[in-house]
Amino acid sequence: MREKGIMNTAKSALRRQNKAQRLERVGKLARGKFVSPNNVPQVLKRIIESGDILCLEGDNQKQADFLANQLATLNRKDLHDIHLVMSCITLPAHIQLFQKGMIRQVDFCYAGPQGTAVADLVKAKKFPVGAIHTYNELYARYYMDLTPRVALIAAAQADRKGNLFLAANTEDTPAIVEPTAFSDGIVFAQVNEIVDRLPRIDIPADQVDLVVEAPYPMHLQALFTRDPAAITDVQVLMAMVALRGIYEKYEVQSLNHGVGFNTAAIELLLPTYGERLGLKGKICKYWMVNPLPTMIPAIESGWVESVFAVGGEVGMERYTAAHSDVFFTGRDGSFHSNRAMGQLAGHYAIDMFIGASLQIDINGNSSTVSKNRITGFGGAPNMGCQPTGRRHPSKAWLKVGAEANPGPGALPGRKLVVQMVETFQSGRVPTFVERLDAQDPSIRKALHGVAPVMIYGDDVTHIVTEEGIANLAACRSIAERQAAIRAVAGYTPVGLKRKKRETEELRRRGIVQLPEDVGVRPSEASRSLLAAQDIKGLVRWSNGLYDPPPQFVDW
Amino acid sequence: MEKFAKAFPSKPLAARTAKPWALAGVVGSGNLEVLLERGGRPSGTMECHVETSIPGYKASWLAALADFAHNYPAGGTKVTINDQGAPPVLVNLRLRQAYDHLIKGDK
Repeated sequence: MREKGIMNTAKSALRRQNKAQRLERVGKLARGKFVSPNNVPQVLKRIIESGDILCLEGDNQKQADFLANQLATLNRKDLHDIHLVMSCITLPAHIQLFQKGMIRQVDFCYAGPQGTAVADLVKAKKFPVGAIHTYNELYARYYMDLTPRVALIAAAQADRKGNLFLAANTEDTPAIVEPTAFSDGIVFAQVNEIVDRLPRIDIPADQVDLVVEAPYPMHLQALFTRDPAAITDVQVLMAMVALRGIYEKYEVQSLNHGVGFNTAAIELLLPTYGERLGLKGKICKYWMVNPLPTMIPAIESGWVESVFAVGGEVGMERYTAAHSDVFFTGRDGSFHSNRAMGQLAGHYAIDMFIGASLQIDINGNSSTVSKNRITGFGGAPNMGCQPTGRRHPSKAWLKVGAEANPGPGALPGRKLVVQMVETFQSGRVPTFVERLDAQDPSIRKALHGVAPVMIYGDDVTHIVTEEGIANLAACRSIAERQAAIRAVAGYTPVGLKRKKRETEELRRRGIVQLPEDVGVRPSEASRSLLAAQDIKGLVRWSNGLYDPPPQFVDW
Repeated sequence: MEKFAKAFPSKPLAARTAKPWALAGVVGSGNLEVLLERGGRPSGTMECHVETSIPGYKASWLAALADFAHNYPAGGTKVTINDQGAPPVLVNLRLRQAYDHLIKGDK
């Protein structure tokens, strides 16, 4: 089928011919595009060639788990020297591919639940990693030097032509399918069901080669659900301090929240404490965040103009459908997310990124990696960084920029990049350390000399702890930044090294602020300030539209 | 179980406070109570008595109490702490809460 004017020489169509050969090998194992579940291992053997760049869809929420499990039934003699590219190493099946010696190289972003297994593979020298990426960084490489030959993806539904509906969890799928489909790669989708008519089309059939109706629905993790019942008084105090000392001070309009309890506390203080401070309409209007159940009270109270998400959240489907003025939805009301575009928004278009970390070093670098657990990054660094390509101003951006006192060759503004941590993790493990575990020589060596730092100290503008706020953007030297970090590091070994005179001087200049300095009364810091006390409270706020997953329901 | 006492230099407490004593927190697993009392003690120090279920953290306790005495005028008060394994991050909050209650009479 050659179009007039398009040259199609033999040399330039080798890849296309190769694709045709692979699909020919599938032959009668598929009826049209449709493969029966039993035939999947055979089909995988025929469409994947040893040496391929293979993309397995799976992030921290959604997994093409049926296809991954079928792939893991194959052996080294079936497939070897695979260059695996994927967002998240999440499933036991992913680890099996390494244990079976099928993988020549892996390039990925995050290994949350398999962090310990990955650390073990590194120790056993069975983890040939290219690099650990941030999400958009890896998607970008799908268009450059890591274009997949085959992509195994997950969708909610397919119609008879092979059009796909991705439902609330669009997530990474478009970022995987586009570079694969437009480079004569093979796109193989597992779907929960095949239907006659889709609610909306997210991926056109033209970009999909094979479809299997999986015998079980794809794995979906309720990753962003935080039970208000687990929020502590200390977290409420920190939330009050952050609201007054950062949100109010800089008039933060557009933002991203991490997934921790600290930021959940902030969300639940907006309709109570925030309302009392008169901040409604002045802060927290535009969000790049997943549909967090703890945002329900703020949305119901009219704080939120819009929410764009990188992924869905189990149980929020009916709520988001009923709030299409706030969330991005299909014409039918079905929730829409897009990880690549969400990360892009979080990079360029927000006043503030605020998140937590497991370790922060004396220079403000943070990491979630320990010697026994290699997790990686995910998307936080795409947002928790200074986008030097930004040119549009906002109040917050200019105000932090002025504090940072940029030189004549620097951007006038800065994004607020805030780390909000308690000085100790559970089990009395200090959050603040002189040196990150991520700097361990064995980890650096496995990563070709790059220590897996989540957020770099140079990008961080503020650290909030239960002790107060350190404004790193306003520090004028490395020594001053270290003193400011020690000042809010509490009674960790790092904090105990602070000098009283230095801390007092920093406090006088407003670089270090105690709760009282930003107008917070610690006596008020109590869970009773939260707009909802538990999951049941969130359901009530939602007028019964939020359906919490079973593990969060105890009534 | 560990028990210790020490007095820390502190600027004198305000001549008037809302209450003669104040209590913050509860003695329960993972929590602690702080009792703050005024009167009848030297006005230049904050006198502290700590009883904690988790031994081995005396240096951290003393550092936290010394900082508190330095940051807030609490001279002439007696601080009694009953700790049932509260996380370190909770200590300062309860101290500040008891102080707030004493001065401003909250709660």
